[in-house]
Amino acid sequence: MINVQGLSKQFTVRERAAFFALKAKTRVVNAVDDVSFMANDGEVTGLLGPNGAGKTTTLRMLSTLLTPDRGHATIDGANLTTERATVRQRLGVLGDAKGLYWRLTARENIVYFGRLQGLSESDAQKRADALIDELGLHDLAERPTQGFSQGERMKVAIARALVHNPQTVLLDEPTNGLDIMSTRAMREMIRGLKARGKCVLFSSHIMQEVAALCDRIVIINKGRVIFSGTPQEVLNETGLANLEDAFVQLIGSEEGLFA
Amino acid sequence: MSAFSFPRLALVARKELLDLLRDRKSIFMALFGVAISGPLVVCLLYFVGQSIQGRLEKTTAPIVNAQFAPDLVRFMERRGLKVDADPADYEARVRNGELDAVLVVDPTYAEALANGRPAKITLVTLSSRERSAPIAGRLAGEVREYAAMIGSERLILRGVAPAVARPIQTEELDLSTPEQRSARFLQMMSFYALFAGLMGAIAAALDVTAGERERQTLEPLLTTPVTIGELAIGKWLAVSVVNLLAVTASMLGFLISLQLVPLGKLGLPFNFGAREFGGFMAVLIPFALMVPAVLLAFGAAGKTAKEAQSSLSIGVSLVGLLPLISWLRQTKAPWWDTWVPVNGQFAVLSKVLRDETIPALEWGAMWGVPAVICVIALVVFARRLGDERMLAGR
Repeated sequence: MINVQGLSKQFTVRERAAFFALKAKTRVVNAVDDVSFMANDGEVTGLLGPNGAGKTTTLRMLSTLLTPDRGHATIDGANLTTERATVRQRLGVLGDAKGLYWRLTARENIVYFGRLQGLSESDAQKRADALIDELGLHDLAERPTQGFSQGERMKVAIARALVHNPQTVLLDEPTNGLDIMSTRAMREMIRGLKARGKCVLFSSHIMQEVAALCDRIVIINKGRVIFSGTPQEVLNETGLANLEDAFVQLIGSEEGLFA
Repeated sequence: MSAFSFPRLALVARKELLDLLRDRKSIFMALFGVAISGPLVVCLLYFVGQSIQGRLEKTTAPIVNAQFAPDLVRFMERRGLKVDADPADYEARVRNGELDAVLVVDPTYAEALANGRPAKITLVTLSSRERSAPIAGRLAGEVREYAAMIGSERLILRGVAPAVARPIQTEELDLSTPEQRSARFLQMMSFYALFAGLMGAIAAALDVTAGERERQTLEPLLTTPVTIGELAIGKWLAVSVVNLLAVTASMLGFLISLQLVPLGKLGLPFNFGAREFGGFMAVLIPFALMVPAVLLAFGAAGKTAKEAQSSLSIGVSLVGLLPLISWLRQTKAPWWDTWVPVNGQFAVLSKVLRDETIPALEWGAMWGVPAVICVIALVVFARRLGDERMLAGR
């Protein structure tokens, strides 16, 4: 379970007017501004917003990569900033950066993360076997990941994030760049996690995906939460018939969708 | 932040090493490059030495206007020099390197010599061309000998003992042993040994810093319980192992090639046996552990692979340039010489080659200075790895 209370993060951006300009102006960007929401076990929560809305920054803070400036959050009751070690064990993260070690095989990639999560070698191997099974990676498991397709890489990255059987799963745009088959497989996987009582928080800017999967939606724009509730509540609130129109109305412009 | 865990550190080090060694092409090129440099240097020295000796043995003496100085010609020939009388276009040929040095007999030579005035011979050479120097030296020496001989004969004719014209006799007492003289020649070996301790680490350091960014694998790694300290030290250990392999390969290359190439025949009684090998390794092991830490600290500086690469090249050139202090210095080494990293290693390696005893304090510097630098560099490296501004995309 994820409980987020007033989370905020600012970035200072240094900008020079010209290459030779002596003075750099610093500009403060409120990447995430007072964001609060809940994500429950056994539910899929969608973090929805146009590009640059603050989805990735929020997920990075939740996965302990960035320290929040203000606010706090708990993962299964463990405080994000004071109990990082516990938080990291409870979390499975498929972040914005989904890189693999090219020269290691798919299995080695998965097992390495399992060992880092504290599993024994044999347990890590067993979990890797189970995930290879589940994700249909049999033919690829013993090959270096260098030549993998985007979808294959994504599967390995997912397996790596789930190797320690985490209770809470964060997924940052997990279907980005995948073909239809891989997208469907990913949706199945997310449903499977939900069925096993996991808490899944995933970010997306694709409406159909959110509509198909989510029990709850948190819509953020320019770092702020502008709506939080079930998909039905979104429709009721806006009085519109489909989620995409509702989304556009809520964020007040169409530009984000095409960005 | 979770506590430091040695099993996790071992895990990181093992994975990084496996990852590095899987990159067979880069590893092979790095190891092969340093292993081959030793034998290449030794063979080069052998052939250079041989050709200098050969050229000195069969030097010809090009003499312009030889007809004015028939006695000088005969003197030269008695001394085993083949005289090449009146070479055509000699200035141009000296300039383009066809001739090393030419003696030009002045047209007034015979007359001046007959009348007891100083007769003039000009030595034409190119001082900027190093390989011509020994030959020019030999020709000048022969002319001096000849002049001294005539001078002595004149004095004897006048009933004066030749010793009168030589009020002081200078003699040289060279305290250097033959090993020391040849070691000067082979000082470049120290340079190549240090070079190996650098080259072995560059590709590996780049891979675990810039490579990690390029592949976007740091971010997922940091969401696991692994700590920055474990990551930094694990990476350092892995790169150090590769670097130590490179140093060992380079030293074995030197050891084997020096056993096989008969440098002794060229008057270079150069000794590189078990004792020198041990001495070299005792200096190079702490060095080979320090270099990766420094390179990693530089390599982790950039947000992108490219930035990391250019930052790393600063570290590389620093390590590469410091031995020049020792190499080019003309004065006696100051006390702090051995405490300057790289430069100090170079100085002590040269001492090992010259068979000098190395004081305990200098051994202290060989291990203490790298240890301190290593710790500082690792702290910098860890801070840069963990800096949240450095995360991919920010």
